[in-house]
Amino acid sequence: MTVQTAVLPKLAVNVVGLSKAFGERVVLKNLRMRIARGEFVALLGESGCGKTTLLRALAGLEPVDGGHIEAPRLPAIVFQEPRLLPWEPLWRNVSLGLPAPDARDRAVAALTEVGLTGRFDDWPLKLSGGQAHRVALARALVKEPELLLLDEPFAAVDALTRIKMHVLVKTLVARHRPGVLLVTHDVDEAIVLADRILIMSGGVIDRDYLVADYPERRVLRRLLLADLGVLLTDEA
Amino acid sequence: MPWAGPLALVTIWEIAARLGLIPPHLLPAPTTVLGTAIGLAVEGTLLTDLLVSLSRAAIGFFIGGSVGFALGTAVGFSRLAEAVLDRSIQMLRSIPFVASLPLVIVWFGVAEAEKIFVVSLAVMFPIYINTTLGIRQVDPKLLELGRVSGLDTAETIRRIVLPGALPSILTGIRYALAVAWLALVVAETVGASSGIGFLALDAREFLRTDVIIVTIVIYAVIGVLADGIARWLERRLLAWHPNYAGGRRK
Repeated sequence: MTVQTAVLPKLAVNVVGLSKAFGERVVLKNLRMRIARGEFVALLGESGCGKTTLLRALAGLEPVDGGHIEAPRLPAIVFQEPRLLPWEPLWRNVSLGLPAPDARDRAVAALTEVGLTGRFDDWPLKLSGGQAHRVALARALVKEPELLLLDEPFAAVDALTRIKMHVLVKTLVARHRPGVLLVTHDVDEAIVLADRILIMSGGVIDRDYLVADYPERRVLRRLLLADLGVLLTDEA
Repeated sequence: MPWAGPLALVTIWEIAARLGLIPPHLLPAPTTVLGTAIGLAVEGTLLTDLLVSLSRAAIGFFIGGSVGFALGTAVGFSRLAEAVLDRSIQMLRSIPFVASLPLVIVWFGVAEAEKIFVVSLAVMFPIYINTTLGIRQVDPKLLELGRVSGLDTAETIRRIVLPGALPSILTGIRYALAVAWLALVVAETVGASSGIGFLALDAREFLRTDVIIVTIVIYAVIGVLADGIARWLERRLLAWHPNYAGGRRK
């Protein structure tokens, strides 16, 4: 594995002192964050707080002004849109960037894993939205990444598909054990999927919750929503 | 059913000509034209002339298309190439190629080079414009995907940029095929000693209306065939695209 600098043995991501400004607007302010190997971390925050900028910086897609990032050089990303190449059949999409001569076998295995058996040679434009997202997931996992970045991947799918995708992601992550950073604005999604939930605000990681510490989901949900500026009455 | 209209028209034309309602030296009957065509083909000059015209169109298309594609690719990829080339090409493009014909004849004389040059010139611009446009329109999100997937430049061009630009390039090819044919007609009727245009020119001298109509029909048929080739290319190369796949859609 290639890294920008040596990754500590138990960490998938180590970010220290990260800074980034777009003109006058400071988005990342001396930010610190760690993700252990095999840990599922959800990052919540209000729109425009810099969650996606942080994720893109980890992927090397966003130049930063200062600080230090230790992360795998080519993490797998699932974007908000599936971003499939419409002119390549599904298996070619999934094997994009796989150098191995057994690329097709691995792509077929990954597509089977996400429930698209027998559709390996189909064109992407024949798929439904949910199916296309599953292909994007297969493309990310086929590389056996040490770090999986999910940038609001289910924001654009319908509610039922989203629940199915949650189950699928949980299963796949449990099997492949990558470190995961999920950027989302959906508190319930974060609670269902993550081991740890971070709240980002003012360019830093403001709060850090271990989901296991809250056997009562409702309590955690209320805390998270309060952090995000939503105060619930008892009925809600 | 869509052929009923044209068929009726030809039938009316035939009847009118047979009844003597149209003077034969202005517009001979379709069957006469057909007879002339067969006669010309058997006699030998028609097929040779057709071959000469087709090879002019093909050579001109190949040269103009290659130059247009090369320039389009350069300008599509490189801001520097755009700064240096684009303005000049756009200025040349605004000249109707017919207007350049007298100059081209002075340069090359009434020779093969003149005709091929005119066809190349006419073909170059639509290919150039659509190649540039196609490359510019490639989805930046897919380019970003290529980057995070670790594709190198060559792979990015092969798997993302060119396939993404292909629908636009094929539109350019389709338009260029039509323009190539048009340019050839113009070049051949200005001066030639062989080819379909020469046949028409020669026939005019002798008021052979039937021969002139044969050449017009041949131009039309080849134009339709060229368009058919372009559509066939689209269906094959854009099979992934629901708008082009036609019957193969699920």
